[in-house]
Amino acid sequence: MSPLSANSHVPLVCTSCHERLQGPFICGTCGKLQPTEGTDYFALFGLPRKLLIEMAGLERKFLRLSWKLHPDNFVNATEQERELSLKRSSELNDAYRTLKDPFARVEYLLAIEGERKEGEKKQQAPPELLEEVFELNESLDDLREAKAARSDVATLKEKLHAAEKSFSVKLAEVDAEMQATARDWDKALDAGEEASRKKIMARLNEHLNRRSYIRNLVVSVAKELAEA
Amino acid sequence: MGRTVGIDLGTTNSLVAYVDAQTGKPKCIPGPYGSTLCPSVVSLDPGGNIIVGEPARKRLLTQPERTIYSVKRLMGRGLADVQEELKLFPFRVDAESGKVIRVQLGEKSFTAPEISSFILRELRNWAEAHLGETVDRAVITVPAYFDDAQRQATKDAGKLAGLDVLRLVNEPTAASLAYGLHEKKRGLVAVYDLGGGTFDISVLKLIPTDEGDIYQVRSASGDTHLGGDDIDNLLQAFVHEQILQSDEIDFSPHEEIAQELRKELIALKHCLSERESATLKFPLPDGKTFEFEFTRGMLDALIRPVVDRTMTPVKRALADAQLKPEQMDEVVLVGGTTRTPLIRRTVHDFFGRQPHTELNPDEVVALGAAVQANILDRGVSNVLLLDVTPLSLGIETYGGAVGKIIPRNSPIPASAQEMYTTGVDNQTGIDIHVLQGERELAKDCRSLARFTLKVPPAPAGLPRVEVKFLIDANGILQVAAKDVRTGEQQQIEVRPSYGLNDAEIERMLEESIEYAEQDFAERQVIEARTEAEGILAATNKALVGDQSNAIPPDERSRIDRSVAALREAVAGRDYKLIRKRIDELNQATMHLAELVMNTAISTALKGKSVGEV
Repeated sequence: MSPLSANSHVPLVCTSCHERLQGPFICGTCGKLQPTEGTDYFALFGLPRKLLIEMAGLERKFLRLSWKLHPDNFVNATEQERELSLKRSSELNDAYRTLKDPFARVEYLLAIEGERKEGEKKQQAPPELLEEVFELNESLDDLREAKAARSDVATLKEKLHAAEKSFSVKLAEVDAEMQATARDWDKALDAGEEASRKKIMARLNEHLNRRSYIRNLVVSVAKELAEA
Repeated sequence: MGRTVGIDLGTTNSLVAYVDAQTGKPKCIPGPYGSTLCPSVVSLDPGGNIIVGEPARKRLLTQPERTIYSVKRLMGRGLADVQEELKLFPFRVDAESGKVIRVQLGEKSFTAPEISSFILRELRNWAEAHLGETVDRAVITVPAYFDDAQRQATKDAGKLAGLDVLRLVNEPTAASLAYGLHEKKRGLVAVYDLGGGTFDISVLKLIPTDEGDIYQVRSASGDTHLGGDDIDNLLQAFVHEQILQSDEIDFSPHEEIAQELRKELIALKHCLSERESATLKFPLPDGKTFEFEFTRGMLDALIRPVVDRTMTPVKRALADAQLKPEQMDEVVLVGGTTRTPLIRRTVHDFFGRQPHTELNPDEVVALGAAVQANILDRGVSNVLLLDVTPLSLGIETYGGAVGKIIPRNSPIPASAQEMYTTGVDNQTGIDIHVLQGERELAKDCRSLARFTLKVPPAPAGLPRVEVKFLIDANGILQVAAKDVRTGEQQQIEVRPSYGLNDAEIERMLEESIEYAEQDFAERQVIEARTEAEGILAATNKALVGDQSNAIPPDERSRIDRSVAALREAVAGRDYKLIRKRIDELNQATMHLAELVMNTAISTALKGKSVGEV
């Protein structure tokens, strides 16, 4: 799938004044909203499907589009225009929310490229973490038991704190790897290297799954510790 | 098309405001009693007339069983949600209530949206009388932390009052709009809004752009059952306990006395915002007077739990916005309860800066609502509000867990798509349960709606139904479903689990007409005359008593002149003139009233006029 194929639903001329459209959503000539379907989040902001996005620029575009699309500007418009404004502005907000978050951004990119795969792998510990995860789960069980029996939890807590720290470090490592791979993706896109892109996406997919696994661990340990 | 106004539908007081075309500034509209505050109290008189505001508040003391206050606490709530409320508030819930609670007022019962619609209708009357024009569109404010059902109930109330509700605006957002226009503020703003029954904290960024100013809400949190009411309840419980111990009088069965005490305690609370100590003198049913000296320190200790409860949402809102207290450029206090010194001090210490209190905390939300009403009315503007949804939207998944589909603090409008299919062959429906809240289990979240997707019979897993969940700019949920294979759209009516359906609203609209037709001006004349007759009778009585001899001749002739003037006004139909003459007579009889009181037993009623004794 080429990066721009999702744009094929965008009409070429305005549905109201029939002038040529310059971008998605709004006619530059008459200002009417357009019933565009299937514009992807990157295209919506006029961005290529790159993973490193400059935040200040994204926010500026978001605010400029908000001025044009927000339902507040269509209170006195026709029912149809009000509907369109609601749809378009919710898409804009969803797009901004997704692209702002670097991980949601990767996940979204993989989804529109048809390369996001989670399923059964999600629950499985990455092989190199197996041992540590096993130990952690044991400590968590011990802690729960100790809590139930109202016995001393101090040493167990210490152990879990250490584990939490260790996994937090691993989380930071995955994040750094993700950053590096994102850079590779952008380079491949610039160079038009079709073949390497698939491989990079597979790596991104793997990073995402590993990250969500470790993150769940960190969250559940933190929760268990907070309750202990 | 008529005028558009902004309405603050509050727990304790409600206000209506508009933007003056000449000055471009928002203004609150005073009612027939001169105040811009309309007490959110509704009473049904024995003749079947609905009475709203100040006269209804007086009836809390004389006819509590026909009168209701703080009804906002019941908006969009089911019976199970309000059990705590029912212990603390004298709500008489109709035993026949369905999923929507009905409250008994005398021989009739009403839903919370209906009661709120009476308040909205009253404010609409105020506005129409003041502007001399029809008012049929409004922006109504709601607590930022209101969920879908509470918002829908507010919108329904607007509809029942004959208003086209252009937008529900979050109260702290409205307040920041009023402040922003007032002071041209910039940067990060925290709005701490503690009203009569709700608490909100919002973190906003005010961004100047080429097109105009953007008010972007970064996060919102709060508690829709926390406010000044809770302070009053604590005070009341404390004093009740004291009286029980010292005088062994339990007046909990006497609602009139409880309401009288509550009124005195609210006055005492206000007094302690200005002074370091105040004395409560309360006449007891046995003829004795309960006396108790309150210091501000005692009040502070008593209300500390309420103030502490507000700080949890404050911290959460900041954490969600990924900001620290010291990063705020401005802090704004909103809501009458923030007059309490302890609250001011706590907020000041937490943020490390002096909070803004320049605008009247009772009026600022209504003023902001008027500004937004004006913006929407004209359709073009140099101000844009970008708000967020305060609670995560989720769908119940296997095992009673919740799958989050729109996280809290997402900018609204917001949407999410979910794909559904069947689990068994020829299954014809898929049940969907929509929830709002942050907890992991469906049973701990707020149930918004349940509905069944219709599916044509097919082998399991073959049907594909795409469901689109959309939170609109009012924070209200809309759902649409599409069969992906056929492209067929499915209409889904989503009414909140505790909401009214369209048929119920239609029926209530029809019923409401019988109340609506009572002419506003006519009612004002009747009420003013009734009050005038009361004070004329009391004056006459006082003038024949012994104390009248102690009145100097010039004072006596001033009273006589005022009496004659009031009599003349009562014969006419100008209720404003009648009120003016009542005030004049009250002024003239101030001294006389004191004399009456000195000879009477009660010293607790000092400073009142003859009409009030």
